[in-house]
Amino acid sequence: MFAKHSKIITITAIATSLSFGALYATAQEKYGIGTSVGPDEIAKYDNDIHIDGTGLPEGSGNVALGREIYEYQCALCHGEKLEGVREMGAQTLHEGRRDIKKLPYATSLFDFIRRAMPLTDPGTLSNDEAYGLTAFLLVETGVINDPNLTLDAESVKAIKMPNRDKFIIDPASRFTAKDLEDK
Amino acid sequence: MKTNRRHFMKAGMAMSTALLADSALAQDTTLIPSRGPGEMIDSSVTYADRSPFVKDAKMRGSANGLSGGGFTPLQHSRGMVTPSGLHFEVHHSGVPEIDPSEHKLLIHGLVDDEKIFTMEDLLRFPSVSHFHFLECAGNGMGEWMGPRGKTVQQTHGLTSCSEWTGVPLKVLLNELGVRGDPKWLLAEGDDGARMTRSIPIWKAMDDAFLAYAQNGEFLRPEQGFPLRLIVPGFEGNMNVKWIRRLEVGDKPWWTHHENTEYADPRPKDEIRAFSFYMEARSVITSPSGGMKLNGPGFYEISGLGWSGAGTVSKVEISTDDGKTWQGASLQGPVLPKCHTRFTHPWRWDGKETTILSRCTDDTGYTQPTYDEMYKLQGPIGMMHNNAIQKWHVAQDGEITNVR
Repeated sequence: MFAKHSKIITITAIATSLSFGALYATAQEKYGIGTSVGPDEIAKYDNDIHIDGTGLPEGSGNVALGREIYEYQCALCHGEKLEGVREMGAQTLHEGRRDIKKLPYATSLFDFIRRAMPLTDPGTLSNDEAYGLTAFLLVETGVINDPNLTLDAESVKAIKMPNRDKFIIDPASRFTAKDLEDK
Repeated sequence: MKTNRRHFMKAGMAMSTALLADSALAQDTTLIPSRGPGEMIDSSVTYADRSPFVKDAKMRGSANGLSGGGFTPLQHSRGMVTPSGLHFEVHHSGVPEIDPSEHKLLIHGLVDDEKIFTMEDLLRFPSVSHFHFLECAGNGMGEWMGPRGKTVQQTHGLTSCSEWTGVPLKVLLNELGVRGDPKWLLAEGDDGARMTRSIPIWKAMDDAFLAYAQNGEFLRPEQGFPLRLIVPGFEGNMNVKWIRRLEVGDKPWWTHHENTEYADPRPKDEIRAFSFYMEARSVITSPSGGMKLNGPGFYEISGLGWSGAGTVSKVEISTDDGKTWQGASLQGPVLPKCHTRFTHPWRWDGKETTILSRCTDDTGYTQPTYDEMYKLQGPIGMMHNNAIQKWHVAQDGEITNVR
């Protein structure tokens, strides 16, 4: 078991020094502080969704389920028609900073709903409910024209948001385009 | 010991008797009578408060109680450091109360050794301490379409400056050993919303660090206690508070807060993404909106300049609506990615005018006017407003925001 692991580590170390090590590797000594953890422990912390779909959970939800959850848990702040209720601090989801149509990836819509909403009880939606809400919002904002839409990991991953190519890295932004080569 | 004290008290009594006896005489002199003894030294008061005469206060608010924050009273600021209790704050899910003995940080993803660190672990690593400003990307957002804020607290109060102490990210990443094609880090907070942002790895390896202390003491809860990310010069939102997890990856995550929320809309429906730098900016904090000059004469113009891309190299002042400019004195210390206090002596002739400042950093970048910003951004911009601020001085000395 240990022998096998050390072989992997050796191979990784060589690969690192070849591909990347030259850029960031330093001669820094190891302090030996902290506790190494395995996948089971990491799974207790890690529930983000990558843009390639990594992390999307099992389950599914349709527009009808999403609409039901929306009316009970979301409409109070976001408004019956997603117009936003100013007194509750919520802006419209139809335009501006929170325009759902403009999002580059549907993965981050699912991720944010599941991690941060509803505001007063974040992290309590089931995966099915989060899929359902994602479907409801994409239909309600006209991104997908299918009133019976059902979403799951595979279908969320496959969505190409219409505005994705409108995201630009301005040369004057002082952010080097190199950092986004494979966006 | 006892004798000494009795002797002291006797002397004290003798002295006050003498004062009483002399009071008739004292009335004829200009001698101001002593205050007598002050407040008793209360051993139960172990953290000093301000004088009750000092009322500088944050403007704090939230529509729903959970998302919102507080603005720093820059009009009363002196020097470059913001007192921790007056540091601006922006929250997306309230302020969590975290017991540091239970707080853990996981670093995982493209590293050889995935590890969990306790606060005790993190305090054992070699530390760094730096003065840096933090500014919300939306500082001055309301000013895009016209002057709205009355005071500099309302127009510019989402910037503050502190000494931050903690562990460099490069020390932690080198401890774990990055592998594969690492280009980005996901930073996740432990607030209710588990707020996430993607940080480019070159920045992590350059000067980003995990801070546990601010201005010589552990972080305040609303500043991320017990641990926050400091990404010097980058927009405030990336300086994730209450940090619990860092994942090393090969692509940005395009999280909620970095896709449309903190990105900059551009003409033709385009959106400028990953606009991290808080560019060079300055503002006159005194005299400023809501103040009133007490007649013609000498006033010190005082303000703050800063740049997320480097060090302030100069601040210029105009007291004639931008017709002529003079260099202000930089009070120092002048540090990179840090508030820099400037001052300028001014004799007001009592005539109506506007006063303004502009800042240049050591990359040669100069703070733009609103007209110049519009050319770049269009009038629809909201975030990253670093335009020149004008204060109007009326004949009666009243100062107002004309933006």
